Amino acid sequence: IKTAPFDIRFPSTNQTKHCYTRYIEFHKCQKERGEGAPECQKYARYYRSLCPSEWIERWNEQRADGVFCGPY
Amino acid sequence: MTNNSCLDRRHPYHLVDPSPWPITLSFASVPTTVGGVLAFHSIRAGGLLLGSGLGMLLYTLFLWWRDVIRESTYAGLHSACVHQGHRYGFLMFIASEVMFFIAFFWAFFHSALGPAVESGAIWPPHGLMVPDPWGIPFLNTLILLGSGASVTWAHHALFAGSEKAAVNALAVTIWLALLFVLLQAMEYRDAPFTMSDGIYGSTFFVATGFHGVHVIIGTIFLICCAIRHYLGHFTPTHHFGFEAAAWYWHFVDVVWLFLFVSIYWWGGH
Repeated sequence: IKTAPFDIRFPSTNQTKHCYTRYIEFHKCQKERGEGAPECQKYARYYRSLCPSEWIERWNEQRADGVFCGPY
Repeated sequence: MTNNSCLDRRHPYHLVDPSPWPITLSFASVPTTVGGVLAFHSIRAGGLLLGSGLGMLLYTLFLWWRDVIRESTYAGLHSACVHQGHRYGFLMFIASEVMFFIAFFWAFFHSALGPAVESGAIWPPHGLMVPDPWGIPFLNTLILLGSGASVTWAHHALFAGSEKAAVNALAVTIWLALLFVLLQAMEYRDAPFTMSDGIYGSTFFVATGFHGVHVIIGTIFLICCAIRHYLGHFTPTHHFGFEAAAWYWHFVDVVWLFLFVSIYWWGGH
């Protein structure tokens, strides 16, 4: 069983930004390389490990409603 | 009021006569604060209470400072020693005001340096039409810098005993100050976001709003100096009221420079 690797950009205990950044990177990757591109799956695994599922559901709902705040 | 024993005192300090204004001021603060809180919670009586409290507050301040002028300019009780004490005291007051503004700048940077994930982890938050710093805000910067120069001009005119020049320079300063207030009021009226628009709105309006209040206070102070100068209260060597107003005005200018650089320029798009 593996989890998201240590990311030097987020050295502190609070990993909120790490989770959010991986989620954004996944969608950025999808936008740039197309839906379902295999390179993007690693970002997907990272954010699913790091982020609380409630947050992922909320962000996915916001995306569906067109009101997600992030850049991708 | 004062009697002969005052001149026999053999020390340079001014031991003020008992005055009703301090306790009047504290009584006037009660309807002001209670009315303010009620008004913030949209209770009808709040506005009336706040207004009457402010009226009492301002009238008390007028009476208190009128007494200071009577004691100094008319009764001559402000010796060099008292004058020095006032200089230190007013500088410390300005230092306390600096700390007051540091609190709001801290609040701004806390939120702007690590923007919350909930609003997209960017600053300014997504969807906000923030003011263009190079529009009215830049003009306001030039206006305040210019007024800082004109108040220094007025000071030098006072030193030189050029009373007409001092009046003109003070007039220029006051016109510039009023222009700043007018332009900021227009920016507030036409802003596409309000104080309730998230953390951006809160930090923007609290910081610029308190600055605006300080500009208004500084402008009133300068107007009082202009009136006193017209009445001949100031001499080339003793004009602390004017110096205090000028220091306060420079402080207001410096706070604006920080606001412009941090909130308008760095904190904008």
